[in-house]
Amino acid sequence: MISATLALASRALTVALRRPQYLMPMLVFPSLLLAVNSGGLSQAQNLPGFPPVPSFFDFQIPAAISQSLLLGGVGTGIAVALELELGFFERLVAAPIPRSSIVLGRLLAAAAIAAVQVTWFLGLGMIFGHGVADGFIGALAVYAIGCTAAVGFAGIGLTLAFRAGNASSVQGIFPLVFVVLFLSSAFFPVDLLTSPVNEIARWNPLSYIATGMRAPIIGYGGTKAFLEGLAAAAGVAIFFGVLATHALHRRLRMG
Amino acid sequence: MKGAQVVPALARRALNEILRVPGAAIPGVLAPTVFMLGISAVFGNVTQLPGFNGLDDYLAFVLPVGLLQGAGFTGAATGVNLARDIEQGWFDRLLLAPVSRPLLLAGLISSASLRALIPTTTLVAVGLLFGVKFPGIVELLIAASLVMLLAACTACWGTIIALKFKTQQAAPLMQIGSFVAVLFTAAYAPKQMLQPWLKGVATVNPVNYVLTGVRQGFIGNVTWADTWPAYLAAFALLTVLASFAIRGLMRMGR
Amino acid sequence: MPAIQAKGLERRFKGDIKAVDGIDLAIEPGEIYGFLGPNGAGKTTTVRMLVTLLMPTGGQALVAGHDVAKDPSAVRRNIGVALQEAALDPLMTGNELMLLQATLQGMSSKLAKERSVELIERVGLSEAADRRVGGYSGGMKRRLDLAMALVHGPSVLFLDEPTTGLDPSSRFQLWQEVSRLRTEGTTVFLTTQYLEEADQLADRVGIIADGKIVAEGTPDELKRESGASHLEINLAEGCDPSTAHQALAKIGAPEPAAEQRDVRVRLTDENAGVADAVRLLDDAGIMVEEIELVRPSLDDVFMEKTGRHLEGSGD
Repeated sequence: MISATLALASRALTVALRRPQYLMPMLVFPSLLLAVNSGGLSQAQNLPGFPPVPSFFDFQIPAAISQSLLLGGVGTGIAVALELELGFFERLVAAPIPRSSIVLGRLLAAAAIAAVQVTWFLGLGMIFGHGVADGFIGALAVYAIGCTAAVGFAGIGLTLAFRAGNASSVQGIFPLVFVVLFLSSAFFPVDLLTSPVNEIARWNPLSYIATGMRAPIIGYGGTKAFLEGLAAAAGVAIFFGVLATHALHRRLRMG
Repeated sequence: MKGAQVVPALARRALNEILRVPGAAIPGVLAPTVFMLGISAVFGNVTQLPGFNGLDDYLAFVLPVGLLQGAGFTGAATGVNLARDIEQGWFDRLLLAPVSRPLLLAGLISSASLRALIPTTTLVAVGLLFGVKFPGIVELLIAASLVMLLAACTACWGTIIALKFKTQQAAPLMQIGSFVAVLFTAAYAPKQMLQPWLKGVATVNPVNYVLTGVRQGFIGNVTWADTWPAYLAAFALLTVLASFAIRGLMRMGR
Repeated sequence: MPAIQAKGLERRFKGDIKAVDGIDLAIEPGEIYGFLGPNGAGKTTTVRMLVTLLMPTGGQALVAGHDVAKDPSAVRRNIGVALQEAALDPLMTGNELMLLQATLQGMSSKLAKERSVELIERVGLSEAADRRVGGYSGGMKRRLDLAMALVHGPSVLFLDEPTTGLDPSSRFQLWQEVSRLRTEGTTVFLTTQYLEEADQLADRVGIIADGKIVAEGTPDELKRESGASHLEINLAEGCDPSTAHQALAKIGAPEPAAEQRDVRVRLTDENAGVADAVRLLDDAGIMVEEIELVRPSLDDVFMEKTGRHLEGSGD
């Protein structure tokens, strides 16, 4: 099972890296939004109640990572839905490999791509911001949360793909990515969000994922924020990983 | 004389998709709506900063950004549809018609201008529902006409990209063009509050003048000083992009 | 003046690939010209140049008296085109498409309506005219495409593989429509990969392979050129083939065939036939079990000129 999972993961990864038109938007759109958010609202860090940050740009980096990872999750869903449409998926199902390998392979590939995504945005932080305040260990913490969360987001994409079975339906949830983002504290401190978004954000795991990645970058929030973020990411990963596996079995049962 | 028939005929055909495919207009409306409401909900408290000069309704401030984004999505959709038409061979039919190429372009982009009214109407309605003060009829007409002009510009951009790459896979390029043009402006805050680099970009970005023109009625009174540069910028941008698009049409088959 | 005239027409693509390599054409008004060749031979590239969708990279072409490179809009006014994909907007109805095409051709709306009704009826789509094209069958789409190409009464009509992918009965229906155009004096340039189609419809056939015209003439001329007809004879048991060879030498050149009892005769005398052969063999005391006259097909012509069989020749 391990070798099948690894083979499927490396295949998914190769295909993703060979098609820059899939990977590029995941990096480019969040980067552009990062630029305009931080360029337009840099003075927001002067608001009373805003945590101490090296710069508003550094504050926004976890938002860009979260956005990028969510887009990656949708991308995984679209890729799998296309395989379902084109019939390639049946080849996988027909192969003598455990069904869970199909899901796990995809999730693993998502985690690997997430490492690329996190590296990209931390790199932008080094160039245009102040880098990671907590240094190397802090950067590792960002990777840990980012890659775990990416597994969960890919699980969302897979669940949708197995349920819907066609790419355009999966594509239709793009606006939802932004709904989830805007209903979290990814872009702004939770205490400064307007009501009722601030209340919703306290329940949104993405708030904790973003805040957890933010803590080591801005050097504020400490181990507690990191652990909460990792727990939220792991929770999302397990929940949607299981849901995706269920959705796959359901699809195979229904034929 | 002939253009009087050809342009509406092509525009009608382009609008078919919206009229006959249930839900085809939804993505183009949903995305800017989510963005507008999201940005205002998340960043709403920045109006407490001194630079906003006492303006307390951030939604009214970002609603015009949503309108321009709606125009951007519409233009990109025009480009994607054109690329599809090229892929499927339908566009050959248009190229084979003894219709001048500028008229063909006019047919393509006039449909985008009309289509842009769908997100415009929706966004204004949503804005009013969420408490934005009614700006006034003249103010709305100015805003709508500028949005339509910008939709024509982004449709030209979509056309240029579609003619160049001849595939729907170029869609992200079409979208990114208007995304950058609309957001690298005083989208989130008054220009004097922007970081120097963004302020510089906004100063040379013609869309920023269009944004100012659209926004004035929503956050205050319409002034001549904010109106004429908006139309000038929109027409200048349209002239430049349209001439590139026509050049692209002329070069088809070379 | 010819309706379509080309001299040294050439199209190179990136990488210096010559899709069309200097072809000459002279097609008279009212003629139906069949342009025959396998996929990738340069048929579609040639058509796209003649209809102004693709610029030639060398040579010259006049269609309806206008240069395709210098005066494309004059060409467009005078031609009708039905391209391979039959690209039709699935969301529009047949009627709407006809009217749009008429508008694009600059016709007044009154005339457009009259012509639409007339042509839609002619191609047998009156009942389906107000339905969306998305629900049409392949044959219906091709017929609508043909009607659209004719809406402005063009003097030259281009049909690029009009029946590829159609079932035999739809194909036959379309052939009937094209045959009708002959009586109306429309020049038709028809590309096809089906021999039977060229044989049935075309006054003259040009065979293209690797971007060059390798043979041209009426279907009969071409067949004759590729060699005379031959007889396949199956002798009765116990008969001596060499006696048969001697007897048949008067009307042709006998060749040994695969089986010992078989004789193959290439006819040198064009007027000779089965009756002559049977009489000659009878005179020589040889009994015939089976005899068949095999006429050359366009596929033989194609085989001879290019060393390959044509795809679709089995149809």
